[in-house]
Amino acid sequence: MITVVHVVNQFFAGIGGEDKANVGVGVSDGAAGAARGLQLQLGDRAQILGTVYYGDNYFHEHKDEAFKAILDAVKAKHPQVVVAGPAFNAGRYGMSCVEICNAITKELNIPCVTAMHDENPAIGTYRDHVNPNYFCLPTAETTAGMADALKALANFAVRLASGETIGAAKKEGYLPRGIRRLEKTDRPGFERAIDMLLKKINNQPFESEIAMEVWDDISAAPKLDHVKDRNIAVITTSGVVPWGNPGKFKTFRNTHWEKYNISEVRHLEAGKWEAVHGGYNTAFMNKNPHYGVPLDALRKLEEEGVIGKGKLYPAYYVIPGNQGSPAVMRRVGKEIADDLKKDNVEGVLFVST
Amino acid sequence: MSKELEKAGLPVALVTAMYPVAEQVKARRIIKGISIPHPCGDPALPAELDAKLRKQIVETALKALESDVQEPTVFAPSGG
Repeated sequence: MITVVHVVNQFFAGIGGEDKANVGVGVSDGAAGAARGLQLQLGDRAQILGTVYYGDNYFHEHKDEAFKAILDAVKAKHPQVVVAGPAFNAGRYGMSCVEICNAITKELNIPCVTAMHDENPAIGTYRDHVNPNYFCLPTAETTAGMADALKALANFAVRLASGETIGAAKKEGYLPRGIRRLEKTDRPGFERAIDMLLKKINNQPFESEIAMEVWDDISAAPKLDHVKDRNIAVITTSGVVPWGNPGKFKTFRNTHWEKYNISEVRHLEAGKWEAVHGGYNTAFMNKNPHYGVPLDALRKLEEEGVIGKGKLYPAYYVIPGNQGSPAVMRRVGKEIADDLKKDNVEGVLFVST
Repeated sequence: MSKELEKAGLPVALVTAMYPVAEQVKARRIIKGISIPHPCGDPALPAELDAKLRKQIVETALKALESDVQEPTVFAPSGG
């Protein structure tokens, strides 16, 4: 029989509500609290060996200890699969569920499944993990959807434990996280592509084989009147930095930004600056860093009065953009925006490679 | 990144050679860069013309900041 450990917060373990959110990690043998409902759905296909619980606040305030205790508890039970949640639209609970699943798959190599509402803030983290060994199923927003959620979790857990191959998100019903897999088909790519093209030309529905990231929309910031009276700053993802790369950027997947003072600099001399970036040929940029930070042009426009005197921000911002994850870039964008607003910058020239 | 800046109320003139991608991810003020490894200029040109082209690109970017846009809008550097 398949063996399962169920991981839940203090509330769903039946310990208590907000007043018990600080309880540490505990283990009940067999199914306790919500795990009883899960056991019902599993029926005689699988057995819950233990229920691991933790306080919603405890987990986030004592993460290292919480991770260690939860991983130890799961390891001691040797389950074939771990179920966490369902967390519905509870943010703290959702976040702990995805982080615990991610850690268990990585540290203990046990597949996991969790479930929550698709607008739970933890879904962003789930997508960022891009971890093929745990899955998040969609639920209703509230515990009104408990029975359905437990049923879906039970069925999925049994399949995971049996080593069944789980197909694409759309087909299997879990929430997508942008993992692309190679698949064998009986028709070559050009035939499938031409089919799609013909359908597109004929306004017929078709489905791309490569799902694209869905980008949230924003409304544009209002225009600037009289740019010459405005404080302007330069940001670049080209990776142009002072020679020697003092910010220790990597050529890919950077997670921090730097700003470098240019208040006394008229133009960027080759040999004093370099481009750190693994996504394009940096030879041109190294020879002439103005391709990434057009300081010569900005100084000239300053002389001509198109940019007001002292209106060009005395530093430029940089993060090499190569392979930056959208979530990291969103955070970096927010951090730089805060920094710029603190210094009353009103508009941005952004050079991206 | 540029969208987070716009969200914070800072208009952004985004110079990029990958302007179709910028449009797709819904950046708003997009300026056509020359090429991915050298968005602000063209190393094939003599230095003087290269600098002139770069200045045109920056001027176009400043004009983009002065422009009212709702949808993703691509600005081509004038005379470039």
